[in-house]
Amino acid sequence: MGTRLTATSNAGGAIGAKDRPGHLTGASDQDVVEWAKRGHEAAFRELVRRYERPVFSLLYRMVRDRGLAEDLAQETFIKVLNGLGSYNPQFRFSSWIFKIANNAAIDQLRKRELDTLSLDGSPHATTPEAMRATALQLGDKRETPLQELEARELGGAIERAIARLRPEYRSCILLRHVEGHSYEEIARILELPLGTVKTYIHRARNELRGYLADRKE
Amino acid sequence: MTPTPDTRHLTPDEVELWAEGLLPAARDAHLAQCDACRATAGGERKLFRDLAQLTRFAPEFGFVERVMAKVKIPTPSGPHFRSHSDS
Ligand SMILES: [Zn+2]
Repeated sequence: MGTRLTATSNAGGAIGAKDRPGHLTGASDQDVVEWAKRGHEAAFRELVRRYERPVFSLLYRMVRDRGLAEDLAQETFIKVLNGLGSYNPQFRFSSWIFKIANNAAIDQLRKRELDTLSLDGSPHATTPEAMRATALQLGDKRETPLQELEARELGGAIERAIARLRPEYRSCILLRHVEGHSYEEIARILELPLGTVKTYIHRARNELRGYLADRKE
Repeated sequence: MTPTPDTRHLTPDEVELWAEGLLPAARDAHLAQCDACRATAGGERKLFRDLAQLTRFAPEFGFVERVMAKVKIPTPSGPHFRSHSDS
C-alpha cells in the first residue's frame, strides 16, 4: 500500500523536491524504515508524508474533531518514529502505524465518551425514535469556520451513518473500505480473531444499510 | 455437470464477492432465482458504491514539520544510500 500513497501525500508538507531524494519516492516502506533507523532525516519525512493522510483520515472519522484528530495523528507519528527500533519488519509498516493510531482513537473515545456525542445520537439507541431522542440539537449554536469545515467534510449521508457505528465497527469499516486492508490485516491491526473481524464488518454493513435507508424516509 | 438447483442462500462473504463482481458463476445461478438474495446483494452493492466515495482528508498545512520537530533522529550510520538512478 505504501507505493499507492506516495503520489498523493504531499499536501501537508512544506518540503521541496530537493529534500525528498528520488531514491525514497519509489522505495518500499521497509527500506525507508531502514534508512530512518540509520539516521536519515529524509526517510523520516518520507514516512510522515506517506501516512499523514491515511492516519489523519482514520482518526478524524473516529473522533470527528479536526483539532483532536491532528493531535492524535501527531502523537501516533511521534510514537512510531521514535520507536522504529521496536518495529518488527515481519509486520507491514502500515499495519503497525494503523494499530497505534487506532489504539489512540479508541483510548480517546473511551476517555471523552465522544461516541455518545455523534451527530445522530447515541450509538446505543436502537430505534429511530431513540436515535432522534438522543441526537444533538443542531442549529442552536453559531458554527465556527472549523465546525463548518467539519460539517462539510463529515456531513454526508455515508459519513453520518459511519459515525453512528460503534467504534470497533467503525475502525473495521474504515480500514476495509477507505484503506483497502484485507480482513487478515485488519485482524492483525485490531488484534482480533479473523472471525470477529468478519462478523464486525458484516454487522456494520447491515447497520449502515439500515441507517442509509432511514435517511431516505 | 448436472443442473441441480442451488438452494443455498448466499453467505455474507459471497454477497461481498458479488458486490465486487467476483462471485463464481455457479452461485450467480442461485442469485438469479432468489428474490431474498437479490435484495440483499443489491443493497450491498449500493452500500459499496457509497463507501467507495469516502476520500482521505489532509491535516492542516505543515503537519510534517510539526511532527519532525518532536522526532529524535538517530546519529547517521551505515552506508550512504544512492539513488537508483545513480547506478
Ligand atoms: Zn437466496
